[in-house]
Amino acid sequence: MSALPELIDGGVRLAVPLLLASSGELVSERAGVLNLSVEGMMLTGAFAGAVGAAQTGDPVVGVACALVASGLVAVLQALLSVTLLADQIVTGIAVNALALGLTTYGARLYFTSGRDVGGFDEIALPGLSRIPVLGPALFEQSALAFAGLLLAGCLAVLFSRRTGIGLALTAIGEDAVSADRAGLPVRLVRFGAVLLTGVMAGLAGAQLALADIHAFTDNITAGAGYLAVVAVIAGQWRPWPTALACGFFGIAQALQFAAPTLGVEVPSALLIMLPYLLALAAVSGFARAGRSPSALTVPFVREARA
Amino acid sequence: MMRQLTAAPGFGWVLAIAAAAAVGLALITGTGTPVAVGTGALRDGMFGTPYAIGNALNAAAVLALVAVGFTIAHRAGLVNVGGEGQIAAGGIAATLVGVALPDAWPPAAGVPLTLAAGFVGGAVWALGPAVLRSLRDTSEVITTLLMNFVGAGLVALCVHEESLLRQPITSAATLPQSAPLAPSARLPLLGPPEAQATAAILVAAAAVLVALVVTRWTVTGTRLVAVGRSVPAARRLGLPVARLQVAALCTAGGLAGIAGATLVATVPFVLKEGFTAGFGFAGLVVGLLAGRSIAAVAAIALAFGFLASGGINLQIAAGVPASSVQIVQSVLIIVVAGAAILRERGTS
Repeated sequence: MSALPELIDGGVRLAVPLLLASSGELVSERAGVLNLSVEGMMLTGAFAGAVGAAQTGDPVVGVACALVASGLVAVLQALLSVTLLADQIVTGIAVNALALGLTTYGARLYFTSGRDVGGFDEIALPGLSRIPVLGPALFEQSALAFAGLLLAGCLAVLFSRRTGIGLALTAIGEDAVSADRAGLPVRLVRFGAVLLTGVMAGLAGAQLALADIHAFTDNITAGAGYLAVVAVIAGQWRPWPTALACGFFGIAQALQFAAPTLGVEVPSALLIMLPYLLALAAVSGFARAGRSPSALTVPFVREARA
Repeated sequence: MMRQLTAAPGFGWVLAIAAAAAVGLALITGTGTPVAVGTGALRDGMFGTPYAIGNALNAAAVLALVAVGFTIAHRAGLVNVGGEGQIAAGGIAATLVGVALPDAWPPAAGVPLTLAAGFVGGAVWALGPAVLRSLRDTSEVITTLLMNFVGAGLVALCVHEESLLRQPITSAATLPQSAPLAPSARLPLLGPPEAQATAAILVAAAAVLVALVVTRWTVTGTRLVAVGRSVPAARRLGLPVARLQVAALCTAGGLAGIAGATLVATVPFVLKEGFTAGFGFAGLVVGLLAGRSIAAVAAIALAFGFLASGGINLQIAAGVPASSVQIVQSVLIIVVAGAAILRERGTS
């Protein structure tokens, strides 16, 4: 494979988990809940997916395990940030540390011999995958990736600003107290949005462990969840720009593998830093605070305080 | 000062410590280790030998430095999640100075210079997020967090490139790490040599004392709290809000940088990948648990230092993964954060 198709192929491969995770996080942030714990949800999903697949030999069971496990992390996060009104940033970081600790501990106990697990093979969509350069990159994915991307697309349409449910989401994220007075179930929607984030992040983690790497390694996500959160911010809380940001981060991550074939002599450590530098530029350059949902990270309490 | 802690009815803390202890016991038994063996290993790792105690105090010093910085920024209304990256930057800067110092210098000259380099490195690392926060209102949480990943990458870059800080490659077995720091840059030992307790403890104690005095009895301390309570109100008072915010976050970075300097200036006296060892995160946890109180930082850092030292022995002697300590720490912070609402309801 020559260099450019390889870069695009690698970029898409790395962007898919980011895209899946950020599609859920986008919904949650528009409802006013910031989940830094996307990272922990992905990591837990990857671990549970790998354990489930290794235990049964069936990657579909692995995905189910991933969804249950990341869903549990999401329930914890939702309890803390929606029900108990705890600080979303503090609890998000703590939940990530808990997930990292637990999965590392679990891997020590479970993956004592090998860490390789069975997983999904890539399926080439007939016709489309023949398109030069872009075809193999975009249309040769695992069944899991296709299903996940379809789901992400459905979420974007369902919660777009042109549907009733999308408008309700925006109302809750902009001014929860008014939304509550208008009769919208603020707590319920927010709880559900966090759960949705968990499900999508779990899929992202499963994609990482079962379709991409076919193994679980300690801290396999290594900050991908944070990149997904940043993609939502850089994408100004809109689906297409968010997807574009995920693509950029994917390409930036893929550069470290493609650089040798591109004939670029750059230390690999520099290229490993690149996605995070891009992310920094994205949040500091693009994100004007005015565009963010006004009630983001503000817990909702019904009784008005004088 | 202690209002934060005393206002929290013991309930949240009792709940947190009980939950953390229960989780810790479950993690020990989860590996098939008998509880008595596990707790014995933990106790030996904490107080069993002079080395265990020295190790715990050294770890507590690093945690206290990071957490004092976190608390100063926190009082100014900023959440510094970037300890890990600031430790890395401080360690790099300290190594730059430490390997260049002449061997003949006395440590009394070399060590302060190395620590000062660490402060500058960490402060510079925090400067970007601080300026972005004060000028563009970019969340310092996200930027300091991302800077952690860049910092880890920069350490990798420095120790892999001979043109930067990598020791001269003499054979295929040459490790990717810096040359050892000059003897004049190395932290002197305190107390008996078998304890390996270093002067980092004195540095941390000094930082705690200075921070205590500044936050409690100086105008600067009051101004920081004013900015932290309400930026618009502080503006109306005519306070230089942007300057105070930048200064607070850079101080936090600088103190984490000193922590990084103490890490490279102790055994094995080199800069290498992963030398930050999660201290940035653990320091953040100490700071959060301390709830803006410097005195509480000192106490909690001490407790966490012993916990970390015990955790190492738990892995060596009882085969319980060291990540157990991280799990217990995160359970503590989750329960304390989750129980905050009970505290508010209890007092209102």
